[in-house]
Amino acid sequence: MLGYIIRRIIQAIIVILGVSLIVFLLSQLIPGGQARAALGPKATPLQIAHFNRLNGYNQPLWVQYWHYILSIIKGDLGYSYKNNQGVTALILNRLPKTLVLVGSSTILALIIAIPLGMAQAVRRNQAFDYVMTGVSFFLYAIPAFLIGELLIIWFSFDLNWFPSQPPTSASPWAIITDPRAFVLPVFSLAALTIAAFSRYMRSSVLDTLGEDYIRTAKAKGASPRRVLYGHAFRNALLPILTLIGLSLPAIVGGALIVETVFNYPGMGLLTVQAAANDDVPLVLGTTLVATAATVLGSLLADVLYAAADPRIRLGGD
Amino acid sequence: MKGSIRRLLVSGVTVGALAAGTLAVLPAATAGAASSSAVATWAEAPQTPPNYIFPFMGLQYFSVSNINNFQFLMYRPLYWFGNGSTPNLNPSLSLANNPTYSNGSKTVTINLKNYKWSNGEKLTSQNVMFWMNMLHAQKDNWADYSQGIGIPDDLKSITVNSPTKLTFQLSAPVNANWFTYNELSQITPMPNAWDKTSDAGAAGSGGCSAAAYGMANTQCTAVYTYLSKASGFDPANPKGANNSLTTYATNPLWQVVDGPFHLTKFDASGNVTMAPNKSYSGPIKPTVSQFVEVPFTSDSSEFNALVGNKLSVGYLPSANVTTGTTNAYKAGPNNSRLSGNYNLAPLYTWSINYFPYNFQSTGNGGTAGKIFSQLYFRQAFQTLVDQPLYIQKIDKGYGIPTYGPVPVYPSNSYASSTEKSNPYPYNTGKAKSLLSSHGWKVVPGGSSYCENPGTSKNQCGKGIPKGTKLSFNLEYATGGTALAQQMNAEKSSWAQAGINVTLSGATFNTVLGNAVPCTAGQSCNWELENWGGGWVFAPDYYPTGEAIFQTGAGSNSGSYSDVKNDANIVATTQKSVPLTTYENYLAQQLPVVYQPNPATSLTEIKKNVKGVTPQSPLYSINPENWRF
Repeated sequence: MLGYIIRRIIQAIIVILGVSLIVFLLSQLIPGGQARAALGPKATPLQIAHFNRLNGYNQPLWVQYWHYILSIIKGDLGYSYKNNQGVTALILNRLPKTLVLVGSSTILALIIAIPLGMAQAVRRNQAFDYVMTGVSFFLYAIPAFLIGELLIIWFSFDLNWFPSQPPTSASPWAIITDPRAFVLPVFSLAALTIAAFSRYMRSSVLDTLGEDYIRTAKAKGASPRRVLYGHAFRNALLPILTLIGLSLPAIVGGALIVETVFNYPGMGLLTVQAAANDDVPLVLGTTLVATAATVLGSLLADVLYAAADPRIRLGGD
Repeated sequence: MKGSIRRLLVSGVTVGALAAGTLAVLPAATAGAASSSAVATWAEAPQTPPNYIFPFMGLQYFSVSNINNFQFLMYRPLYWFGNGSTPNLNPSLSLANNPTYSNGSKTVTINLKNYKWSNGEKLTSQNVMFWMNMLHAQKDNWADYSQGIGIPDDLKSITVNSPTKLTFQLSAPVNANWFTYNELSQITPMPNAWDKTSDAGAAGSGGCSAAAYGMANTQCTAVYTYLSKASGFDPANPKGANNSLTTYATNPLWQVVDGPFHLTKFDASGNVTMAPNKSYSGPIKPTVSQFVEVPFTSDSSEFNALVGNKLSVGYLPSANVTTGTTNAYKAGPNNSRLSGNYNLAPLYTWSINYFPYNFQSTGNGGTAGKIFSQLYFRQAFQTLVDQPLYIQKIDKGYGIPTYGPVPVYPSNSYASSTEKSNPYPYNTGKAKSLLSSHGWKVVPGGSSYCENPGTSKNQCGKGIPKGTKLSFNLEYATGGTALAQQMNAEKSSWAQAGINVTLSGATFNTVLGNAVPCTAGQSCNWELENWGGGWVFAPDYYPTGEAIFQTGAGSNSGSYSDVKNDANIVATTQKSVPLTTYENYLAQQLPVVYQPNPATSLTEIKKNVKGVTPQSPLYSINPENWRF
């Protein structure tokens, strides 16, 4: 297992370097270059030339890329002119907020979706299953911004139960100190995930309940409870573990719509802003983080899968 | 199968019931209860928080959010522009009396008023010299520097006559209005406390403020580097991040102010809190206990804050304008969710809206630039732009037409009657006639083509061969629905005269990056680029065209070049002539495609807040005037 993980980490570094090179090269295609993007419509050719000289954008590409890689090794992801901050600082400011927001909603979604999916599977084709299927379809189909806006209208404006947005100055841990402010954004995100996870769980449990070993367990007189929790549950959970692992990029990447509606600046918004502003250092930084999260998420899914299913052994052990 | 159908039906009914419940509840939402306090809260524009505090800055930080909505509240410019709803010089809020011009407009005398810094020091000529010396040393790093035009290049010397009087000697005569509005407008006096090169340094130890003009470049460069670093930008290591941004409210440097407020809280997300400067010497003292700027991620989150009654002053996003206005200068009915707590007031900035033709374009088979160079074509093209209609239908009445190079609103003494009267009103027949009388076969709905090439008056023009079609590409900035609607409306209109325009959308930055003047020897095939913003006359408040319409100007995106126009522009900057000749000529010559100028902001003002209007057309806010 350890050898497998080390090999995957080495692969991850190669993937991250490759992605950084691709994004770096793509960034050179920006119309007008980085100077025009940073300086705006009033930039004169003289100012553009001065900016390029100052920032070394007049050097050969490979030199620029080499300097960038050296900076990354030192933990410096560069400087965002648009934000007048270091990219590392920006990411460190936004990432915890996003992790807390999306992480909380994912945990909440799992807590609700797993038992819900199991209950639907057990009560297959009964009223409960139909109603919850309808609710799932509804939540799945409804756009995230609409859920957010509806929750704000109902629970903030009409009932005045919760604030319409957390304070933008709040620390990531404000979810503990001021949980009311996070109820609506967390639930907005969780609603979509619950719908997805519960459908997966229902389907997985149904598949598992049709397996030969379940039939054998029933034939041997195991109680329905024991069949469900002792035999079906662990196996049915395997696809969900994969989903959790693959959710990591989303958790890190943020939830753009919810961040936008609830005025909660996180990684999603930072990434989109960077792209819209042609803020190349920030685009590179957020891309690297997203790439790392994707690679790690994939690794996590494999490891969790192996841990949950004794039949699976990684790395040929 | 029956089971499947039943499941589907039950699911569908459930979805339908939930959706119906949703729709039933939507109209019932109402605004929260109002609460009044002496803390004034103001909505920042989405995703544009202030992030630079040092007033001497490069173009990358030169923004409304940094200057007008942040720095100006603490550090006042020498001359304040925006007087009521006009863009004029405001003598009352300026730190100096109106400049006087003598010696054939080659000598400018400035007399300072009796202002004090918050540390008790008087505002003196030395504070002005501090800025001017820094400008001399670091002109390349000053956002508004134009080589060979204005200060510091046309400045021979500056004499400090007394602690309150300075004299500028210029190398050539200037138009007084132009020099005051476009050159002196750039100066922000800086306190002696900033004249140092380290945190421990004594005030004035930097040696930049006390030196004679232009005699302390080395010292000023060191001071500039120190102050820039304290603001977050390290000129010696521009890609290095020092994150000084988070120290703005705690660094004693930035607490020395001459404006009505000083900073008490600031964070990287854009949360800004200011408290009144008790020593403020200006005519109107703040009465609010705090002025708070609130950042937003989107228009919708700002609107939600308004509905929740969380802001003293905000703005109505265009998507939430439910009823338009019949008079652009006056607000129509407010959004019903806000009308109980807020009053609406439209704001128009000192700007014109247009998009450029690329006169050097090699597009359309090498003919695009040549076609654009024909005045009759530009007249036909402009005649098909129905600005009043677009304002009424797309901007819901909140817009001002652009008919020339000078804004016709806010009311000002510069816009001529010719320009105001719209030289090219919408007229499809006129457009067709202009084309057909110049050798074009007009094909409405198709592509008109040149059937009579040549350079005579009734022929297509130089470099336009027979069969050339009127077919162009126009790239516009996406992100707002209004611009997309307008572009499609204009496309349909142009098509009526057989001018076939293919639209494509791109990000604002992409459009801006493409719309650059062509350079010799390089492929340059863009034809029409619309970034949707035209040009804002700030901090060059005198609306001359040296930056956008003069031959070779950096922001003359389409490379427009006209000898007579160049002479007109030079006259407006160097001679005491009115703008009329210049503006009438360009209103007639159409160097760009003039476009309607939508309201910059539909400001929402809480009903218990007075003093917010009239709003400055130069983006500045004056919360010191606000009264609860």
